[in-house]
Amino acid sequence: MEKIIEILFNGLSMGAIYALIALGFVLIFKSTGILNFAQGELCMIGAFICYHFCTLLNVPYLISFLIAIALGALLGILVDLLFFRRLVGEPLFATIMVTVGLASILTCVTGLIWGHDFYSIRSPFMGKTVALGGMVFSQVSLYSIGVSVLLFALFILFFKRSLLGIAWKGTAENSDIAGLMGINVKKMRMIAWAVASIVAVVAGVFLAELSFVHTSMSHTGIKAMSAAILGGMKSIGGAVLGGVIIGVVEGFIASYFTGIEVAGFHFGDLSDVTAFAIMIIVLMVRPHGIFGKEDVERV
Amino acid sequence: MSSTLKTSYKEDMALFQNLWVKVWLCILIILMTIVPFLVDRYQLSIINEICIAVIGALGLNLLIGYTGQISLGHGAFLAIGAYTSGLLTGKLGIPFLLSLPISGLMAALLGMIVGIPSLRLKGLYLALGTLAFAFIVEYVLFHWDLTQGDMGIAVDRIRLCGFVIKSERQFCYLVMTFAALATICAKNLVRTKTGRNFIAIRDRDIAAETMGIHIAKYKVTAFGISSFYGGVAGCFMAHYQQWISPGNFDLSVSIAYIAMVIIGGLGSILGSILGAILITGIPHGIMYVTDMFKEGYPNISNFIVDIKLGIFGLIIVLTLLFEPQGLLGIYRRIKIYWKTWPYKY
Repeated sequence: MEKIIEILFNGLSMGAIYALIALGFVLIFKSTGILNFAQGELCMIGAFICYHFCTLLNVPYLISFLIAIALGALLGILVDLLFFRRLVGEPLFATIMVTVGLASILTCVTGLIWGHDFYSIRSPFMGKTVALGGMVFSQVSLYSIGVSVLLFALFILFFKRSLLGIAWKGTAENSDIAGLMGINVKKMRMIAWAVASIVAVVAGVFLAELSFVHTSMSHTGIKAMSAAILGGMKSIGGAVLGGVIIGVVEGFIASYFTGIEVAGFHFGDLSDVTAFAIMIIVLMVRPHGIFGKEDVERV
Repeated sequence: MSSTLKTSYKEDMALFQNLWVKVWLCILIILMTIVPFLVDRYQLSIINEICIAVIGALGLNLLIGYTGQISLGHGAFLAIGAYTSGLLTGKLGIPFLLSLPISGLMAALLGMIVGIPSLRLKGLYLALGTLAFAFIVEYVLFHWDLTQGDMGIAVDRIRLCGFVIKSERQFCYLVMTFAALATICAKNLVRTKTGRNFIAIRDRDIAAETMGIHIAKYKVTAFGISSFYGGVAGCFMAHYQQWISPGNFDLSVSIAYIAMVIIGGLGSILGSILGAILITGIPHGIMYVTDMFKEGYPNISNFIVDIKLGIFGLIIVLTLLFEPQGLLGIYRRIKIYWKTWPYKY
C-alpha cells in the first residue's frame, strides 16, 4: 500500500511537470494553431539559464528562477517575432517544420554554450525530504505539484475572469473575427508565446530538480506532447489530466514492468516508451482526445 | 511562356520531353561513369553517401511533397531496412539481391501499418503518430537481443553472385545505378494514375474523395512506397557502413531527410536530388572549411558534430520562411529570368 502511494506521489510530481509542458503546447496551439515541437527545448533552455545564474554565478535560487522566467519570456517573444509572425496563414506543414527546425537550432545553441554534460542546479530543495504519516516525500515533488496546481488555478481564473483572457480565447476561436472586434491579434499571439515559454521554463526548472540539467531534457517535451494529445490539444483541464495520467501510468509501469524478458527481448525501462505507446493508442482510438471535440470540416 | 507544341500523345507522354533533356541526360550518364575514376577515396565516399541519401529523400518527398502526409519517422524506416538486410545477410546468409527487396518490403509493410492511422489523422496528429512510431522502433532496436542494442551489429559486404563489392568505387557504381533506378521509378510513378491521385490528395483530400479517389488506399500506398524507398536506402547504408547501431537512425536522421526534401523543393523529383546533395555535402563542407583552421583551433573538429543538426534546423527554418519552394524554386526563377531576358516576363 505504501509503495503504491509512493508510486502515485512520484507519478503525480512527474505528471505535474508533464502537465505544465502540455499546458505550454495547449496555450500555443489554442491561440496560434501551431503545434510547437520546440516546447521541450524551451524547457531545457530555461533550466540551463537557471543553472547558469544559480550555480555558475552564485545568484540566489529564487532570483535566478525569476531571471530564467524573464529570459524565457523574452525568448518566446523573440521566436514569435522572428519566425511565426511571418508564417501566419502558411500551410500547417510549414509551421510544424519550422518548430522542428527551431528545436534543433535551440538544442545546438545550448550545446554550444553550455556543452553536453550533466549539471544540477544548486537549489534549496536539494536532498531535502518531508515525512508525512510514515512516508518520505522529496520536497521538490511537493513544490512542483504545488506550483503546478497554483498555475493551473491562475490560468483557469485568467481565462474565465480577465478581459485579456477572454480576448485570448476569442483569438483562439477565430482570429479574423477577433481582429474585427478590436482585439490586437498579433499582440495576443506574442503574449501566448511569452506565457507558454514561461510555463516551459517553470517546468524545466522543476524537471531539472528531479533529474539533471542536460540537453536530452528536451526529450521530455515530446513525452508531454502525448499528455496534450490525450487531453485534447485545446483544453487546459485536458492537459492537466493528460499529464497526470501519463505521469502516474509511467510511474506504475516503471516499478512493475521493468526488466521483463520475453523471448530474447529485454524490455528494460518500459517507462521510456509508455508515453509514446499511449500517444499512438489515443491517436488510433480517439484522435481528438478526452476533452477535445471532433473537428468537422466544412466544404 | 515555355510551352512547346506537341502533335501526338506519344510526344506528350514521353519521359524525356525534348532533345535538350536527352543530351543533358547523356552527359550526366557519361559523367556518372567517368567521375568515380577521377576522384579520390574521400570524395567517392561523399558520392556514395549522396546516392544513398537520394534514394531516401525521393521516398520522403513522395510522401511529404506529393501526398502531403507529414512523417517525422523516416529514420525509423531506414533503420528497419538496414537491420533487416543486415540480419538476413549476416545470420541467414541470404544473397544481397534478395535481401535488398526484402528489406524494402519489410519497411513498406511497417510503413503501411503506420499509414493506417493516417486515414483518420491529418496534419500534426499524423506527424506525432510517426514520431511516436520512430521512438518505439528505436526502443525495440535498443532492447532486442537480435539487434544487440547499443552495440549494434556488423553487416557483411555486398556479395553479388559471388563477386564481393570491396572498394568504394565498386560500391559507388552499384549505389549510383540503384539511385538512378529509384529516380526513374519515382519520376514515372508521379506521372501515373497513382501519382496524380497522390497530388490530388495533397491539394485537397475532400475534393479528391468526391472525385472518386479511394483516399484510404492511396494514402497507405504512399506510406508503403515511401517506406520502401527508406528501407532500400537503409539497406545500402548498412552495407556501406558495415556496422549499424540504433544511434545511426535517431531523430536527427529524420530531420536531415526532412531538411533535404524541404530545401530541395517539395513535390519534385529533381528537388529531392538537389536537397540530398546539399544536405549530405554540408557537413563535409564544414569539415573542409574547419580543416583550414585546424592549426589555430585544434578543438574545431568536435564542433562539427555539435552544429550539424543546428545547421539543418536553420536550413529548414530559413527555407520555409524565405524560399518555400526550395532550391528548385530558385532554379526555376533563374531559368525564367534568362529565358525572358531582357524582359521581366
